[in-house]
Amino acid sequence: MKNGFGIFLAAFIALDLSWCGFVLAPVKQLSTAKQTQVLNSTDIYPIGRPGEANQGLQAYRASGCAACHTEQVRQDGVACEVVLTSTGKNPAVVSNLVSTLKLAGLTKEEADTTSDKITAAGGKVETHIAPVGVDIPHWGVRRSVAGDFLYDYPVQLGSLRAGPDLANVGARLPDANWQLVHLYAPQAVVKNSAMPPFRFLFEVRVRKIGDAPSPDALKFPKDFPPPAGCEVVPKPEAKQLAAYLMSLRADAPLYEAPFTPVMTKP
Amino acid sequence: MNDEIKSSCSIRTDGEPEATRATMPMWLIALTLMLLFLGGVYFDHHSGWFNAKVYSPYVSAEQLELYQPKSGAAAAAAQGKKVYETVCGICHGNDGMGKPNQAPPLAGSEWVITAGFHRLAQIPLTGLSGNLQVEGKDWNLNMAPMGATLSDADLAAVLTYIRTSWGNKAGAVTADDVKAVRAAVGGHPSITGAQLKDLPE
Repeated sequence: MKNGFGIFLAAFIALDLSWCGFVLAPVKQLSTAKQTQVLNSTDIYPIGRPGEANQGLQAYRASGCAACHTEQVRQDGVACEVVLTSTGKNPAVVSNLVSTLKLAGLTKEEADTTSDKITAAGGKVETHIAPVGVDIPHWGVRRSVAGDFLYDYPVQLGSLRAGPDLANVGARLPDANWQLVHLYAPQAVVKNSAMPPFRFLFEVRVRKIGDAPSPDALKFPKDFPPPAGCEVVPKPEAKQLAAYLMSLRADAPLYEAPFTPVMTKP
Repeated sequence: MNDEIKSSCSIRTDGEPEATRATMPMWLIALTLMLLFLGGVYFDHHSGWFNAKVYSPYVSAEQLELYQPKSGAAAAAAQGKKVYETVCGICHGNDGMGKPNQAPPLAGSEWVITAGFHRLAQIPLTGLSGNLQVEGKDWNLNMAPMGATLSDADLAAVLTYIRTSWGNKAGAVTADDVKAVRAAVGGHPSITGAQLKDLPE
């Protein structure tokens, strides 16, 4: 073969460059990632998953949940909203001014100009920053970032959303019994769910007369009673999986994905 | 055998074809360079230069910095932490536990978690010298008026920070409060621990 060495060199360089791009660069970029602080708070993020939840990650992996569920929230943009907190000494002037200004859906520069105008008129404002996207606020309050997966091995990103995204499921559905019933019989709690039941994670026990019910037995909704005379008890894997699902929370504002938390009114 | 092939495939009769070198057309070089340039421009505008903190929809570290929430009580606390760690933390410790022979603790200190803030605000404005008992231990040290050069907002933020961090649960201090205390005591000579005891909270 003529030019054999040249062809080998070209192929080697092509492979080498892609290795640098796909392996070396991400390692250099992200391997030093460590715990950070939640924005405007002294809380640390992320906190490692508690032991049972960490084992649940392996149950999640073993059950192939990542085949149908993703753990990544997408964000298309960011919008600012100027919120009037006080009208100051000239309420009429300020509210007149505010009624002429656009207050929501602004870029940061526009929001700063607007709040400067209102402040100059004597009012007090706060600028709220909110992520925007098809996934928000349905699946999460902000985009997923590498830090969310700091303690996961292997990371269960998933690539197909046959079922809902689970990046923030612990904040959305923080009820262990709900999670377990949903694993045992998805259609009992979510009508028309396409999820297959994971009954092998549970034990159906016949309850003898006079026996005390198991403290772990599932509490089913009224229209979906357990088999007569039986109780459904989760195996350790099911409990671990539920603990893992409830530990999936990506709702803290971070430096790399900032937002103004929505204050829940007391 | 060879004759058979030659007769059945009459395209070439002059032996094996051979690749020769040809000059690369100028337009291809120009196009490549232009694409490289456009790629470079796009990279510069959208990549954040490999900064691990920059994710889409943000395109640069500066833009990300711009979008950090900077208003409300939470932002004041963040500002207070920043000022504390650059000005106060060197001696009092970033954990507020103080350092032996340098500065007494602020965490749980009876001088910090008072109901009023006037006496506390006076310490960084005038400085403090002489013996002072903090959490049952005697401290005989000098503190320079570290807060005299800070703005009202920064000093208020840092006072709020030390009154609400490390388990301290005292009220916040506003910039207007600091302004009033500064107007009353600013420029006074350093107070002593004995004088401090007699001051109202």
